[in-house]
Amino acid sequence: MNIRCAKPEDLMNMQHCNLRCLPENYQMKYYFYHGLSWPQLSYVAEDENGKIVGYVLAKMEEDSEDDPHGHITSLAVKRSHRRLGLAQKLMDQSLRAMVECFNAKYVSLHVRKSNRAALHLYNNTLGFQISEVEPKYYADGEDAYAMKRDLVSFAINSKLTPADPASFFGSKCSNKNKE
Amino acid sequence: MSPSQPLPAKENALFKKILKCYEHKQYKNGLKFAKQILSNPKFAEHGETLAMKGLTLNCLGRKEEAYDYVRRGLRNDLTSHVCWHVYGLLQRSDHKYDEAIKCYRNALKWDKDNIQILRDLSLLQIQMRDLEGYRDTRYTLFMLRPTQRASWIGFAMAYHLLKDYQVAAKILEEFRKTSSTNQNKNVHGLNNNKGTDYEQSELLLYQVMVYKEGGYYQEALDHLNKYGDSEICDKLAVHEYKAELLLLLNRNKEAVKVIRDNLIARNCENRLYYTYLEQALGLTEDNEEQRLKMYTDYQNLYPKSQMPFRLPLNFVNNPVKFKSLADFYLKRSLRKGQPALFRDLKPLYSSECEKIHSKYSFKIAIIEDLMHTYRNNLKRYGSFETDEQTWGSEDATCILFVNYYLAQHYDYMKKFDKALMYVNEALRHTPTLIELYVIKAKIYKHAGNIEEAVGCMDEAQSLDSADRYLNSKCAKYLLRANRVSEAEEMCSKFTREGVCAGDNLNEMQCMWFQSEAALAYQRLNNWGEALKKCIEIDRHFAEITEDQFDFHTYCMRKMTLRSYVGLLRLEDVLKSHPFYFRAAKIAIEVYLRLYDKPLGDSDVSENINTSNITPSELKKLISKQRKAKKKASAAAANTDQSHHNSTNEKNSDKASSESEIVGEKLIPSKLERPDDPLGEAIKFLKPLQLLARERIETHLLAFEIYYRKGKILLMLQSLKRAIKIDDNCPTLLRQLVLFYDFLEKHKAELSPPVKEVIDLEIKSLIGTENVCSALELNDRFSQRNKNSLIHRLESSKLIAILQKDKDAARKNASNVINDLEKLNSVNIEVCAQMMQSVRNGEFGAVDESVIEAFRSRCHQMFPLATHFMTSSEKKLHLMNNFDKESAVNHSTVETSDGQIGEE
Repeated sequence: MNIRCAKPEDLMNMQHCNLRCLPENYQMKYYFYHGLSWPQLSYVAEDENGKIVGYVLAKMEEDSEDDPHGHITSLAVKRSHRRLGLAQKLMDQSLRAMVECFNAKYVSLHVRKSNRAALHLYNNTLGFQISEVEPKYYADGEDAYAMKRDLVSFAINSKLTPADPASFFGSKCSNKNKE
Repeated sequence: MSPSQPLPAKENALFKKILKCYEHKQYKNGLKFAKQILSNPKFAEHGETLAMKGLTLNCLGRKEEAYDYVRRGLRNDLTSHVCWHVYGLLQRSDHKYDEAIKCYRNALKWDKDNIQILRDLSLLQIQMRDLEGYRDTRYTLFMLRPTQRASWIGFAMAYHLLKDYQVAAKILEEFRKTSSTNQNKNVHGLNNNKGTDYEQSELLLYQVMVYKEGGYYQEALDHLNKYGDSEICDKLAVHEYKAELLLLLNRNKEAVKVIRDNLIARNCENRLYYTYLEQALGLTEDNEEQRLKMYTDYQNLYPKSQMPFRLPLNFVNNPVKFKSLADFYLKRSLRKGQPALFRDLKPLYSSECEKIHSKYSFKIAIIEDLMHTYRNNLKRYGSFETDEQTWGSEDATCILFVNYYLAQHYDYMKKFDKALMYVNEALRHTPTLIELYVIKAKIYKHAGNIEEAVGCMDEAQSLDSADRYLNSKCAKYLLRANRVSEAEEMCSKFTREGVCAGDNLNEMQCMWFQSEAALAYQRLNNWGEALKKCIEIDRHFAEITEDQFDFHTYCMRKMTLRSYVGLLRLEDVLKSHPFYFRAAKIAIEVYLRLYDKPLGDSDVSENINTSNITPSELKKLISKQRKAKKKASAAAANTDQSHHNSTNEKNSDKASSESEIVGEKLIPSKLERPDDPLGEAIKFLKPLQLLARERIETHLLAFEIYYRKGKILLMLQSLKRAIKIDDNCPTLLRQLVLFYDFLEKHKAELSPPVKEVIDLEIKSLIGTENVCSALELNDRFSQRNKNSLIHRLESSKLIAILQKDKDAARKNASNVINDLEKLNSVNIEVCAQMMQSVRNGEFGAVDESVIEAFRSRCHQMFPLATHFMTSSEKKLHLMNNFDKESAVNHSTVETSDGQIGEE
C-alpha cells in the first residue's frame, strides 16, 4: 500500500473512509481545518487503484501552556487491510512530521474505554500509555482513555532533527526542575 | 461616521457600542443600544443605526426583519459606506455573493480606502474566482498597508492564481528580503528568535512552489539549497521538491542521491519515490532486468517493506522470474494472514491489463497454479513445499488464507460454484473468521443472489457488531436488496442516539449511504425519495464549496499557502468527485422518467405490490398512506420550528448561515412532481459536462435530455462527444438511430443554417452516406454487432419503437433468444434486462413458451441468480441452503478440536 502525506484532494476520501470504519465522524470542514492548519501531519494509505484504505488525521495542540504536542484526531485502517502494519507506518510518518515541523514533545489521543482492539494497538504496537480517564468524553456518555506517547525518545531513536532542538531537548530538564 | 447624518456625542458613543457588541457577538446588548438611539424621535430614522440593527437581527436568525431594517437604513442614508457595507454583509450571509460584491463596490464609492470593506470585497472575489477583481483589490490593499504581511501575501497570491508566476515570485522575493532582517521581523509579526519558524518555513516553500509552477526550476532549486537546511522545517517537502526539480533539470545523479538518502530512507512505502528513482536511473519499460535489480536492492535494504516487493510484479514479464517473485510474495502474505492479498493483486487481473499485455495474462495462471500447489502441499504435509524437511512447518491458518484467496480468485473469474466451494471449505476450517462471510456475501452478490448475500453479510456483522466496517457493508448490501428501512436501522447502531439515522448520516455528509439509498429508491420507483437523496448530496457539495470561505483569511494568517492553493484548486473541480457523478446520474434518470410519465396528483410512487390487492384494499391503503404522510410532514414542520427556536437562543451567526445552506425542506411528494423536470435535470448535467467529460455516460444523459427538448444542435454535440469516447457503445448507437429518426421527421422545420451543419456532420456521425431510413441504420448497427447480446437488445427495442408492425420486433426478440448461446456480453445484468423488457411487452406479445425457454436457459447459465428462478425454484433454493448451512454447522462440530478436516 502506498503511504504518503495527505493532500487537500484526499480529504474527502478520508472522510469517506472514516464514515465506513469509525463511529466518530466529522464534517468536511473539520478535515479541511486539519489539512490547512498542519498539512504535514496527516497521512493516507492507498491501494493500487488509489483508493484510500487507511489514514491518520492529526493536529497540534497549540493553545495550551503545556509543551507543544501533537494530537491524533482519528486513525483508521479498513478491516479488509489489517495486518499490513499500516497503522504503524502511518503513525511513524505523522509523528516524525510533528517533531520536525512543530517541535512536538509528545503526542496524545483518546480511545473509547470499550475499544479493546484499539487500546491494544495503541499500547502494544504504537507505544502509547494511558495517562488518565476522561469521564463521559464521547457523545454517547462513554469514558475515554487519554493516552500519550513521548516523542523525545522517539526523536533520539529515529535520529530526527526537531524544529527547535534547544527547547526540544532542553526543557526536559526544566520539567524536572519544576518537579 | 456618516457625514450626512452625524450623531451627537452621546448617541455616537452608543453607536460605537453597537459596533463593538456586533464584533463580540453580544447581539442582545447591541439591540438595546440601537433602541436607545432610535427611540429618540430625532434619530428614529438614522440610517446607519437602522442598518446595524438589521445586521444584528440577522445574527439572531430574524432574517426578514433584518432585511427590512437594513434596507430602510440604506434608503435613509444612501451615501453612507456603513449602510452599503452592512447591506453587503447581509447578502453575503445569504450567500448572494454577486449582490454582496455590488454593495461593497457602492460602499467603496463613499469611502474608497476603507480597509475592512476592501478586505471583505477581496474575500468574495476569491470565493467567486473573480481573479482579476481580486488582484485589483489586493493591489489597493497593498498600496494602503505596505507594512502588513497579509498585504504582500495576498498581492502575490493574486498573481500566482492568475498564473503570472514572474510577478508573484518577484513580490515574494521582495517581501522575503524586507522581512528577513531581524529588525523587520517584528514589524511583520515574524517572531523568529528560536529554532525554525514554521510560518517563515511555509512562506519559503510557497516561494518554491511558485518558482516551480512558473518553470523557474533553477531558481526554485537555488532557493531550496539556500534555505532548506536552516530555515525550512518541513524536511520532507524540501527533499520531495529537490528530487522533482533535479529530475526536471536532468541532474539525474544528484536526484538519485536525494531519492535514496532522503526520500526512500524516510518512507520506503511511497510508490512515487520509486517512479522518481527509475526515471533518475534512466530505466525504461523494456529494461526489465535492470529495473528488477533496482528493486531487489531495496528488498535487501528493507526486508520488511512491501512496496519494493510488490512493484516488480507489475512489470516483470519473464514467466520464470515472475513465478519466483510471486511465490515469495504470496507465501509471505499467507503466513501473515493478510486479508488484502487478493485485492492487492487484483490489478494484475484487470481486463485492461490483459488488453494491453494480452500475452502477459499468464500472471493469473501462475498465481492460480501456485495457490493450488500450496493448497495440496499444505493439506498433505502442512508445508508449502513437498520437501520432507519442511513438513509441518506452516501454521494451520495458511491453508485457510489459501482457500480464502482461491474463493476470491474464482469469484473474479465468475466461476461462482468453485468460489463457493473454497469459501465453504475455509468456513468448515474456521467458522469464526469473519472475512470469510464477507467474501461469501460478495460471491452471492456477484452470482445474482442478493438476498443470500445479505444473509451472509448479516452473519459477518453479527459476529463483531462493534465494527462499523462490517455494519456499513451489511447496510450497503441491504440497500442493494432494496431494503432501505432495514439498512437505516442497521446504520443506526453507529449514529447518534435520539436522532433518526438518515438525518444523522445526512448531517455527517455520509454520501456512500445516500447514493446507495437513492439507487434503491430509484429501483423501487420511489422517485421522490430518490430525488431527495440526490439533492441532499448536491447540497453537501454546495456546503463543501462554502467551507472554503473561512480559509481565505485563515490560511493567510497560518501561512499554509501551498495547501491553500491546493484547496482552491480542489474546490474548482469538486464536482468531478465520483459521489457527485453518481447522484447526478440518478437524478437525471429520475427526472427523465418523470418527464416521460409525470405523476398525477394522486399517484403514490411508493413501492406497493398491487398485484395481489383488491381495488378497495388499494384505495384504503393509499388513503392511509396519504394520512400518514400528512401527519409526518406536520410533525416535520413542528420539529423544524422547535429547532429554529432553540437556535434563536444560541444566537450565533453560524446558526443562520447553516439554516441557509440547509435550504428549502425537501418533500418527496413535491420533488417527484417538478414543474420543469428537464430543467432540473440540466442543473445536474452542467457540472458533469464541465468536469466529467471523459465519461461517456455524461453525453448519453445529455442526449436524452436534449432529445426530449427537441434541441437538435445540442443533441448533435452530445453525440459527437460520445463518439469520441466509444463509437460502438450500444446506447450511443440507439441514440444515433433516434437522432436520425428525429431528423427525418423534422427535416422540413429546420432552418437553413442548422440544416447545413447537420448535413456536414451526419456522415461522420453514422459513418455512411446512403441510409434511407432510421430502421435501416438500426439494422446496419445491429449487423455490425450481431454477436453482442446488449447491442441486439438495444436494436430490438428500437424496432419496436420505430416500426408500427410489432410482429417484426417480436420476431427479432425471439431470434435473439434463440441465438443466446452464440452471443457474447451475455451476463446476468443484460439477461435480466432482456427478460424484463420481454415481460414488459416492449417487443410486443412474445410467446410465453419463448420467454420460458429464455428463462430456463439463463437459469442454466446462472443457476444462483434469482432473476431467472421460478418462485418454486427460489423456495427450493432457500431450503437447500438451509440444509447446507446445518450441514456446515454439523461438520464444524466434528473438527472443532482444531484438526484440519480431511476431505
